[in-house]
Order: sequence, then C-alpha cells, then structure tokens
Amino acid sequence: MAIKFSGVFEVKKQPEEVYDFLTDPNRFASLLPDFQNLTVQDATHFTLKVNVGISYIKGSADVKMELAEAERPGHAQYKGQGAVGGGSVTLVAGFDLAPVVDATGAVLATKVNWQGEAQIFGRLASVAGGMLEPIAKKQIQKLIDGLQAALT
Amino acid sequence: MVEEKEKKNGGRWVGASLPRKEEDRLLRGRGKFADDIKLREMTYLRFVRSSYAHARIISVDTSAAEALPGVVCTITGKEIAAQTHPFIEIAPDHIQKVRDYPMAVEKVRYQGEPVAAVVAESASLADDAAELVQVEYEPLEPAINAEEALLDKSILHEEAGTNRVWSGTWEFGDVEKAFRDAAYVVTIDHMHFHRFSSTPLENNVVIGQWEPKEDRIHYWCNNSFPSFAIQFLAAHLAVHFDRIRVQTADIGGSFGIKITSYPQMSVCALASKKAGGRPVKWVETRSEHMVSSAHGNERTFRDTRVALDKNGVITAIASRHIDDCGAYPRYEPLGCVIYSQVFCGTYRFKNARIEFTQTVTNKCPVGPNRGYSRMQHLWFLERVVDICAYEIGIPADEMRLRNYIRPEEFPYTTPNGCVYDSGNYPKMLEVAKKLIGWDDWKKKQAEARQQGRWIGIGIGTTLDSGTNNFGQSQIINPYAPFSGNSQGANCKLDVYGEVVVAVGSCPQGQGHETVSAQVVADVLNISPDLITVRTGFDTERNVHTGFSGTYASQFAVSGLSAVHGAAQKLKAEMKRLAAFVLQTTQDDLEFGVGEQGPEIKARSTGKSINYWSLANIVNVNSAVLSEELQDVTLNCRYIWRAPFKVPDREKKYGNLTLTYSSQLHIAVVEVDRDTFIPRILDYVAVDDCGVAINPAIVEGQVYGATAHGIGAALMETCAYDAVGNMLTSTFSDYTPITAMNIPKIKYGYISTPSPHTYSGAKGMGEGGAAPIHTISAALQDALFAEGVFINDSFNNGDSIFRSLQQREGGQLSNLVRMEKR
Repeated sequence: MAIKFSGVFEVKKQPEEVYDFLTDPNRFASLLPDFQNLTVQDATHFTLKVNVGISYIKGSADVKMELAEAERPGHAQYKGQGAVGGGSVTLVAGFDLAPVVDATGAVLATKVNWQGEAQIFGRLASVAGGMLEPIAKKQIQKLIDGLQAALT
Repeated sequence: MVEEKEKKNGGRWVGASLPRKEEDRLLRGRGKFADDIKLREMTYLRFVRSSYAHARIISVDTSAAEALPGVVCTITGKEIAAQTHPFIEIAPDHIQKVRDYPMAVEKVRYQGEPVAAVVAESASLADDAAELVQVEYEPLEPAINAEEALLDKSILHEEAGTNRVWSGTWEFGDVEKAFRDAAYVVTIDHMHFHRFSSTPLENNVVIGQWEPKEDRIHYWCNNSFPSFAIQFLAAHLAVHFDRIRVQTADIGGSFGIKITSYPQMSVCALASKKAGGRPVKWVETRSEHMVSSAHGNERTFRDTRVALDKNGVITAIASRHIDDCGAYPRYEPLGCVIYSQVFCGTYRFKNARIEFTQTVTNKCPVGPNRGYSRMQHLWFLERVVDICAYEIGIPADEMRLRNYIRPEEFPYTTPNGCVYDSGNYPKMLEVAKKLIGWDDWKKKQAEARQQGRWIGIGIGTTLDSGTNNFGQSQIINPYAPFSGNSQGANCKLDVYGEVVVAVGSCPQGQGHETVSAQVVADVLNISPDLITVRTGFDTERNVHTGFSGTYASQFAVSGLSAVHGAAQKLKAEMKRLAAFVLQTTQDDLEFGVGEQGPEIKARSTGKSINYWSLANIVNVNSAVLSEELQDVTLNCRYIWRAPFKVPDREKKYGNLTLTYSSQLHIAVVEVDRDTFIPRILDYVAVDDCGVAINPAIVEGQVYGATAHGIGAALMETCAYDAVGNMLTSTFSDYTPITAMNIPKIKYGYISTPSPHTYSGAKGMGEGGAAPIHTISAALQDALFAEGVFINDSFNNGDSIFRSLQQREGGQLSNLVRMEKR
C-alpha cells in the first residue's frame, strides 16, 4: 500500500543553509520520531535505526537510505528501504527549495516544498494497513515541526 | 448400540440416518489430529516469508538466527534448489520450464512466499529466530490483475517467457448460425468471480522425518490427497515412491485447500535431513494459512454473448474466460479443464464457444477449493441466465424451466461429451418454491417495494460433479500420465473374527467411518457397530491407489464402491469356508448375528459358525483347511475402477465425471437503503445426491456447504492492494462466516438415483457454490429496478454502494446490452 505525503513550509534561512541541513543526516536524523541511531557509510549512504510500534507489531527498523539526487541548493531526493515485523517499506522523499525574496530581491527565507511516497509491503500492510496512514501522517508532521524548529 | 429400528430403505443400513461413529471422539475432544502427534527429539519449523509480492532476493542472512541457542539449523531456497528437482508441472510447453521449488530461490513471487526456514528446539524459539533472518530484496513491478498480467509487462517466471499458463478453446455446435438465427442477442461486457479461500478449523500441519538409517521419509500430516502429494514429492526429492510414507489422522476440514501442502512437506523433510534425521514439525498459523496456503481461482468473464430464441431459450453462448492461478501453477492448470465437467450447467444449450486462458499473477497460488473451478463457471452461467431473463422480461423461475435439461433426457450427454447421470431440476425448483413460500414472498416483495425497500428473490442452480476422470488432464497436456479413477479398500476378519475395514481416504468430517460401516453391515447382515473402520491415509496399509485421498465429491461413489467390493470379496471367501466347515452348499447359508456374535448359519441344519471360528481356521488352525481353500485369506483388498475412457484431446470431448449431484437454492435478500448491507430474510436449500447413504450426514454437509457459500457471497474475499499486499490476512479482515451469520436454512431433498453407481448414490459435499449464485440472483432482483447488474460474485455493503455510484456515474450503461431482432 502506498502512503503519499507532501507539504510546504518556510524557514528564515538561506536556501544553501537549509539544503546543507537537510542533506546532512548527522544534523537532521535525530529529529526523526522514535530515532535510535545513525550509521553513515559515505557521503550519500546512511542507515537509520528507528523504533516502530503499530498495534502489536513492535520492533526496530533499519532503513537504508541513499541521497539519490542532490542539486545544491534547490533540490534533493532520498531513496530508502527497510524492514520491520515481517514487513518492508520503500521510501522516496525529496524537497525543492525556493528563495523567498522581498521587493529588492533580498532573500528573506526559504520555501521548502517537500513530498514523498512510502510503499508498505508484507505483514505490516496486511495487518495494520488501515492504521498506517494516520500514524505515518502524524509522525511526518512531528518531523516537519522538528525541522522547522531546528532551522529557525 | 445402533438399534435395528434405525434401518430404513427397505430394511437396509444404507439409507439410515445413523449417528456418526466418529462423533463420540470428535465431539469429546478425543480426536487425534496431526498436531497431537509428539515424537521423540521433535523439532519445530518456522518459515521466514516474503513481504514483497514480486522482488529479487539480493541476500538471505541466517547467521543471527543460527547463533541463537536452541536453534538446530536453518534452510534457504538456495540450499533446497541445490539438492532437489523443481516440482513437476502439469501444463505443457513453456510452463515445463518453470522452476518451482518449495521456497523462493532467486525471486519471490507473492507476499508470504517462504524464503527461509528456521528449525529450533521449541516452536516459540523458532518464531524468535525467524525474526532474526535478514533478507534483502530488490522490489520488482508486480502483476496483480489477471488481464494486465497477460500483457507480460512484468513476467513472473522469466524462464517461461510469459505469464500465460495455458489457453484453449472449447467449441461445440454451430455457434455462428445460432447467433444468426437468434431472436435476442444479449451481450455482457464483464463479469468477475472473486478470490476467496477456505477456513478449515485446523490449519495445515506437517511432521517430516528423513530417517537417516533407512533413507526413508516419514510424514504425519493432514494433506487431503496424499497419493498426489507423494507423486510430486518423489520426483522432486529424487526418492523412490516406496521410500515415502504418509500417514494422516483426523483432519479438521480441508475443502480442497490441504491438497496443496506438498511444498511444505518437502521443506520439513529436507530440514529433518539437515537436522540429522530429527522429526521436524510445522504448524501453520492462521495468518500464514490466509496469505500463503492456497486460494480459490479468481476468474474474469469477458465479451459474453448469448443467443436466445423468441421464447427466451438460450441457443448459444460465446465468452472469453481469464483465470488467475496466482504465482505458481502447481495443481493448475487442471482448473482450465475441470470447469468443463459442467460445461452447460443445468441447461440445454448445444452451441457454445469458450476461450479459456489462465495466467499467473503475484498472488498466493490457487488450489482446489470448494467446488473447484466448476463453481466459477456455474456462477457465470447462472448470471447469464438471470441477466438474459431480466433483459427479455421473463421471470427467473420461468426462464429456468424453459432452459433446464428435462428429467426425461437423462442420462444426458452435454455438448462436450459429459454424461449427466440423473437429475430433475424442475422438481427441485418446485420443492424449493414450496419450501420458501414463493407466492407469499412475491406478494411481500411487491408490498415492500411500494414502501421503497430493496428486496430480491433469487434462484441458484448448481451441479456437484463427482468422481473425476483424470484423463481430462490430457486435454491440458497430452503427455499427462493420468486417466480414469480408482479407489482401494480392504475388508477382513482379523485373527479374532472382528470385521475390520480400511480405506485410503482422508476424511475431514464427512463421516467415512459411518457410511463404510453401513455398506459393509448390509453385505454381512450385521450391525454397523460390529464393524471397525480404519480411515486416514497410511501408505503402508496398502489400500490406496494413485487417486486416493478425499476430494472432488467422490467417496460415496469411489470409496464406498471399493468398500462394497472388498466386503463382497470377503463375504464370498467366508461363504466358501463356512460351506466347507458346515458341510453344506453356499446357497444354504445365511449371514446374521447369533448368540455368539456375528455368524453364518446353514438353513438346512441350523448349525452355525461364528466369525471368530472362521478367522481361527484361516489364521491359527490352518492345518484343517482343505486344498481347495488354501487361497482363502479373509483379508480382501479390492480396487474399484471407474468406467472411463480417455477423452478426445483435440476435440476436448468425453465423459469427465461419473456422477452429478445437483443443488437448487432460493434466497430472499434485502439490501438496507442506508448502509447497503445485504441481509438474508429467508433461505432454502434443496439437494439431490441420488441415494443418500446416510441422510443425516448429507443434510449436515448441505448446511455446512451452504454456510460456506453464504460467507463467500457476502463476507469473504482475498483482497489485494495494488502492490500485492493481501489485505484480508486475518479473521478480523477476512471475516469468515460464523454461527452468528448463518440464517435459518430450510432443507429439502429429492432423490434421482444414479445409474452409474452400484448404490445409486452420487458424490456430494461441494455444492457450496449454490449460495453464491443464489445471492447474486437475489441481489439482482432487488436492484435491477435501480439499474444495477450484479456482475461480481462478492457483494457486501461497500461493493453494492459502489455499484449504485457507478450506475449514477453512467459507468454501467455499457455493461449489458440487448439486441432484439
């Protein structure tokens, strides 16, 4: 089953600063809900370990992430794959950054246009399918709130 | 003790509604099921299953599981492939290239497919260890919808080169002429028979032991067609047939689904071999059963055209059928021909063209399931009849009477050469209408419609073809080495004179012990209580044939014919022996029960000999036997063979089954106008299985099958999402029917004895499809005025709501069209 998510927010930072933050797992990973730890393999590959608990499916998930597209300071996209509780998840998530300028052309802020899609496979979808979307959306909102706070 | 007064049917035990011999142990919890078997040094197996419907396996890492204390070993698909042959495929040509192993090797092809297994000292330890196995996948595009799968955009079995498993055309009569001459032509664009499964109380269980000293494999399991499983396993494991022993005990339901547990049987044996010969037990969980045991065939019917004369008599049907067999063909593509056992259903049309195609998809493999393959086709025919009736404006009961095969036409040869042995469909309709109070309901329905209520009355007629001619497999594959049908039984007087019957069947609640005893009791003129029947398959009992098991509505025909034959052989030997001992002729002897138990008496002298004495002479006092009685063993094996010929493979013509039970159901259903949930207001089931050996058992099977059918029609579906996740993998989501949902069923019975069997009995038990046809028909009746055609076999509140929305959106306008000439 697919869960799609997207949104827009603004932060009072330059696009380069926002881009650098969002493409550095050492900086943003701890903002992920139920984050456990991070292992960075190289500049574009890292593994996130997060706790997962949906109904009686509980455990931790290792999600292997790849920074698949990186166009500083305007665009980046991650691809990920992980497994938990007899289920698997594949993830594509990215953002587009646009400067918010005043009448003189000075950059006041950065508009973050983010979107993603998670495909859930296996027991997780079969057993907890109906609950996944609202839970995922709640967690994503937590993440966005955290990112906004960190970038402010 | 069974009372003599229970005898019915002209003073015979056959025909009496005796309580089942099995009842006492099963109802008191004293049955012995596969999971009850505990063996020394038993280990427990847990599968690691794929979460993807279609993916390449990058790696399987079992090291963490193996490091867990108490884990005996692990086994992966690669290890299995290295030491076995792929399972044999029934389909010819390109499908012969499919490499089907009991565990995924390079790719997974459905969610829930086994990828690895862990064997541990306890079941819970195996569960924990299985969670530690790491599998890395590369997801592939899944093929979920059958029609899309046939486009081959994503191929499941690359070695086959296509997803198409098999295709063939059945054409009889002059279809084009019938359409040219038709007064009406009705076209139905699309119909769909949904995927559902069976929910036996007991899931699959296998205990496998590869005995290292003897290099033999011993199975204790609940497979319901062990003869078939052994043939698949022997070739796959490269072990001679005689080195595989299969034993079954009590089985808690199968409905066909347990025929296809041989892949798990393979894994248990191979795991046992790796575990040094320790027995390995696998007990399937309910969600494993739902996701990965076997489902029933899903079928789509496209471009159906029906020709009718001016009286509404169907003269021709042409249609394309697309069957979805899931990820591996396995028992398939037998369903591609088995449907044709009931090619014309209960109807008289002679001209037909069915183009049948089967495809694999990334879903659980299918297996024989409650009325396997025939129920899909019979549902299709019933929908055709009903939709045509509504289009032309003929009442549903009248439409059927105009099209039914007439009673005087039996035995009736269908366009494809099947011989329907007996039946009286108009009589069944009459009985059913009377039981339900047809005229009253019609009146109530009219009044309810005035009040805006959606009430419908539907008729469903179905056939339960039993005792297959396995030669039909040659229509699929001319090289298939099967034809005919047979069953074995043994009847003996043991050393102490007890009558012991052994059969090669695997009863799952059908009462084989009871009905076998009834048959033998009539032959020997003793009470069924004096007869011990050993059921449950055991290779080493040597009463089985290559077709032994319990499936396809056949025990009353094949099993009891074998039992009857064995009892007759025993009786003949007993007569020879008694005549010698009592110094009289065989004609002078009568069988019965005397003061010293069962005996044979000489009418002329009044002298008698009891069974103990007879058995004693043969077994422990044999020196007194004369030369001419040296061949008497009082231990008689009989193999019954069905009188079949191999069908014409090219013309797809021939008799495919021996008996045809029939069922006619009527349902009154109301659809709630606020929730759209259908509710059964009244229900009648009328059955005809010829001579009922035990009418109470027949009645019980009718209730059970009807309950299952109602569940399938209204509650149960194997739903998949777009990427192949099964969304109904627990009972919470699948919602199998329970006692709370079963309406009161009014039961009726007629008997048209089969001329094809010694007793007049016809196989029965798989008439479970009847409610699906019937409820579809009733919903059609309820909603026709709303512009809705029921073109799906599964109808719950959601789907009815969607149909009404589609009608409002104009999406149903082209579904059905009628041309009047």
